[in-house]
Amino acid sequence: MIDKKIVLKILVIIFLILLPWFNGSNFTNENIPEIRQESNPFYEINPCKVSLFQYFSADIKSIYQDHYFFRPNNSSSISCFGKITGVAVQQKNLETNFIISIGTNSFINLFYQSSIWLLLLSFLKKNISDVSRNRKIRIVQNVSILLVTYLQTFSIYAEKRFYESSFFIFDFQDRNSYILVFLIFYLINKNLINIYLSRSDNLLNYIPFLFVISGIISGYNLIIFSSIFLYVGFNSIFFKQIPQIKYLYLYISLSIWWLFNSNGSFYFKPGKLRGFTNSVYEFNSNLFWIIFFGVLVVGLISELDKFKEKFELSTFSNNFSISAFIILLIGLVSSHFPALNFFSYYYLGLQRNVVEQLNPFAFDEFGVKVSWRGISPSSELIGEFFALCLLVSLFDIYKKNKIEIYNYIGVISAGLGLYFSDNRTSIYLTFIFICYYLYSKNSDIVNISKKRIFIFFLIILFIFYLFQIFLPDTFKFYGESILSKANNYQYDSIYSSFLSYLIESYEKKNFVFQIFSFFSIIGLFLNRSEMWGIFFSRYNPTFLELYFGSGPLTLGQLYGETYIVETDSLLLPHSSFLSYIVYFGLIPIVFLIYKYIKYLFSKSINYEFLILSIFMIVNIFKNDSLNYFSAFVLYFFLLYLSKKNKFSG
Amino acid sequence: MSNLLELCGEEPEGFIKLDFSSDPDFVFENDNNFAARQLFDSDGNTVFVNSYIECEHYVSGGWGFTPIKNNEIQLQDNFTLLLLVLITLTLFAKTIFNYFRK
Repeated sequence: MIDKKIVLKILVIIFLILLPWFNGSNFTNENIPEIRQESNPFYEINPCKVSLFQYFSADIKSIYQDHYFFRPNNSSSISCFGKITGVAVQQKNLETNFIISIGTNSFINLFYQSSIWLLLLSFLKKNISDVSRNRKIRIVQNVSILLVTYLQTFSIYAEKRFYESSFFIFDFQDRNSYILVFLIFYLINKNLINIYLSRSDNLLNYIPFLFVISGIISGYNLIIFSSIFLYVGFNSIFFKQIPQIKYLYLYISLSIWWLFNSNGSFYFKPGKLRGFTNSVYEFNSNLFWIIFFGVLVVGLISELDKFKEKFELSTFSNNFSISAFIILLIGLVSSHFPALNFFSYYYLGLQRNVVEQLNPFAFDEFGVKVSWRGISPSSELIGEFFALCLLVSLFDIYKKNKIEIYNYIGVISAGLGLYFSDNRTSIYLTFIFICYYLYSKNSDIVNISKKRIFIFFLIILFIFYLFQIFLPDTFKFYGESILSKANNYQYDSIYSSFLSYLIESYEKKNFVFQIFSFFSIIGLFLNRSEMWGIFFSRYNPTFLELYFGSGPLTLGQLYGETYIVETDSLLLPHSSFLSYIVYFGLIPIVFLIYKYIKYLFSKSINYEFLILSIFMIVNIFKNDSLNYFSAFVLYFFLLYLSKKNKFSG
Repeated sequence: MSNLLELCGEEPEGFIKLDFSSDPDFVFENDNNFAARQLFDSDGNTVFVNSYIECEHYVSGGWGFTPIKNNEIQLQDNFTLLLLVLITLTLFAKTIFNYFRK
């Protein structure tokens, strides 16, 4: 029998989803004209009068014709919510595009979008036993909620340059203006944490759904689901339940340096990184992101530490499969219907609109597959997600020794999605790892022989040496590929400090350049010469910044400090490894690599950890994955649990 | 765009802000080159200004509102009240529920 409560919740959600878009004036369909190429005086005279659904009923072809584009206008007034605020006509060669602005006030967005996501979260299964909490625990929990709320409200002040265009009326200098934002955040956080506390045993099994519902509020540089980890992080700090506390002290020491070093002001348009990147390199903004990142990581580790005993591989794998199916379905359907595209963007809290590419099988005029990203901000990111879905399904099938309907759904959806995304590295790696797993999974433990690894590296060095001796011109061309690209993008007499250093090393032909040549050759094979070249033409660290970074999730300094030849669009570094060197510097990153290699040689390593970690490292090296919240959390989750043998049979 | 620029337009060349607070009989002179504008205060009261200096004076004195802005502020106030009610309900939901059950 269907639970009445669930039916009621579904009805409430449907009602909430439909409600705001009927908020129009008394126009009849005959009064509302269709949008025309020449001029649209009706929409100029009557902004904020026609509701979205009134418009749909008057101009029904806008729902399905692909030259209509619906875009949210977050800086419109509350009374404009759900109404047409303006129309723009764009001529693109022979094609005429109609851009229709929909009023979506940022205050309402915060309350409304979060409420819908909270209602969806409330569908998850509750914990079997409700842990009673004493007074002290309750006080600490409330203080943590207040701290999360304060931190989020502070971010509006700290990143006012980003938020200036997000509000209709908001005086950033007046403290009273922040009361409304604080109250909305508090109400949302309080309810979100209540939902989390009663469902914490099961919540992390649903992590793959972060790729379906990103939870980024329209007009904000925040992800609502991060509140859970921030809350857990603050709680763990208060109760001193932090595993490996020495790293937290190290992080705090580095934070002091990052804050002292926060000179200047460089704006970075978050674009597709919205929700997980610092929009302005300034003291206050850096302070917010330093606290955010530190507490988030503490929260993630603490939560995973508590959750590891409750992890169920089959539930997790099923959720991965369902997510893959939903992502594929919404991506394919929404790309055909502009109206659905807008609703997907809004209700899933996406960074970008759903891809408008109609044919996911398309090839360009050179016969190269056009990559498809669906609802994801990047095709590479979604390719990695589909590849991981295949690997997790494999572990699940192997562990339970049977194939269930969810596995079929997952394998078919993820297989198709991986092909559509055209993430070739992920395709090759998945294929190799599936073969390797099936071939060698006779024992649970991998014994990595130090001797073999040493020989392997010796062989690589020897090949490198032979290449240099017998094909010197080709070697020179490959080894200089990144440097020559960096020189192409360097502007006039402006040289970034790192590029100057590279040129100097090149002239001296020293050891540093030998290592960089090796890096260049890898970059060339990964088709990253241009992107990494652009990165190095921009990268302008001081001595200490090179070793200790500029602060977490902060790209403003990189993109604002050194002027380079203009690029067609904002091009990210295309390597999380390089991004994280900008954030944390060489020393912490090299230390992490050392810890990983040391762990690989330990006796307790399992196949699942080996496969997942190598897959992630390759992708971290060549993609921006770790700059997205969903991938950051998923990678953390998979590495931590595979290390604890949770994916093994 | 600043509120003054939005409501009064570009500052005329050579504009000097006069201090006439000590002159109770000061009368603003009409400027033929300035199109008359209607200004609003936070309560929705209106005034017509006929020169840039008059416009600037009124906007600086708190007449920098528009009906749309006033409406927005009113809606924000109502929203704040709604939030306070919802927060109270969230915090005391159990107590309220138990009270009605009795």
